[in-house]
Amino acid sequence: MKTQNPQLAGIEALEGTYVFDLRTSNRTLAFNRFFWEMINLPAREAFWKDEEAAMTAAGLSDEEKQLVRNRDWLGIVQYGVNFFVLEKWARVLKTTNLEVYARMRGESFEEFMATRQVPDAR
Amino acid sequence: MAGIIGGICTSHVPTIGVAYDKGRQNDPAWAPLFDGYKPVAAWLAEKKPDVLVFFYNDHATTLFFDMYPTFTLGVGKSFIIADEGAGYRPLPPIKGDVDFQAHIGQSLVNDEFDMTFSQDKPIDHGIASPLPLLWPHDPDWPGTVVPIAINVLQYPLPTARRCYRLGQAVRRAIESYPEDLKVVIVGTGGLSHQIHGERTGFNDTAWDMEFLALFRDDPEAITRLTHADFVRRGGAESVEQIMWMAMRGAMSEQIHEIHRNYYLATTTAMTVVLYEEGPGDAPVREAVSAAAASAAP
Repeated sequence: MKTQNPQLAGIEALEGTYVFDLRTSNRTLAFNRFFWEMINLPAREAFWKDEEAAMTAAGLSDEEKQLVRNRDWLGIVQYGVNFFVLEKWARVLKTTNLEVYARMRGESFEEFMATRQVPDAR
Repeated sequence: MAGIIGGICTSHVPTIGVAYDKGRQNDPAWAPLFDGYKPVAAWLAEKKPDVLVFFYNDHATTLFFDMYPTFTLGVGKSFIIADEGAGYRPLPPIKGDVDFQAHIGQSLVNDEFDMTFSQDKPIDHGIASPLPLLWPHDPDWPGTVVPIAINVLQYPLPTARRCYRLGQAVRRAIESYPEDLKVVIVGTGGLSHQIHGERTGFNDTAWDMEFLALFRDDPEAITRLTHADFVRRGGAESVEQIMWMAMRGAMSEQIHEIHRNYYLATTTAMTVVLYEEGPGDAPVREAVSAAAASAAP
């Protein structure tokens, strides 16, 4: 039975926001670990060498593998991955956080930066 | 006896570290950020604290979700700065004073804060992003750090009130240490930002200004906020402002601002505030606040 954390009461009313709690974390632990491992150079090198083999070795499901293949940043977050391990993978793909933010909003990088106060900040 | 001589709250955006390492201090997009830290660095150079006690969070770098503690005190003579996926930064290891860390640890546990303890573990951008803007590091850092990590990633998080009380307990720990150490408390994170999901890019400068005023003058009001309140008003990742509340708990009941810089360039309202204890000089405080408000976009 799922109970409500009173500290989070009302949060479901916020669209585009995904609570990372113990239930989500437990369900997605292997997927989160796959991204977390990217802090280690051998894991990065294994990914660069053969993405499919790296994903299989990490025990990812077909759905998880497809999200990675598609570079589906928003889909990965919606699936239940924490952004702070996802940003480690972004470094491996030489993708900046600003580019990831644009993708999660469904915008091009230029469209996203045009909405910012200092559009030429990098 | 050890004593607290001031406090700092600062954002810990990882991009600050990237911009620092790439030498963007004079880039027009970054100068308002770096220049805003200069008065804080000058204050630290003048006051010469021996120790910075940092309330920060690990971004699932050194700690992973399979064992993610609520409050972790780092113990060690030296902490390397973590590789977070892009390799190591050109910074010396952060220094520690094991006797002082151990004293704070035993005092907190005896004071009913049952800490987790880590030993010699790497420290990520939670501290390493702002630290070189505060302290010089060539050839080495001028003092030691007590790293206290707070879970702001995996719910359930500690409440704002619990973090405030942790800060109060840290003050008792510091003030019961017999050595004459000058200590500055640092809280990191915030202000408004959200960096996941379709709501990415959310900010609210009006709330940030309200938070800064309440934080200084009525922190009890902030202890009544739920995590959902933080998320709604400041964006999902602004919940890390509970780490500012730990810093606030360690400070005296009345504090005043010496300097404030607020710079919202892209997604995070990057903020640094320097505080001293006591009521201070109100006209100076208001002048500083007015300057900060006019600098806000």
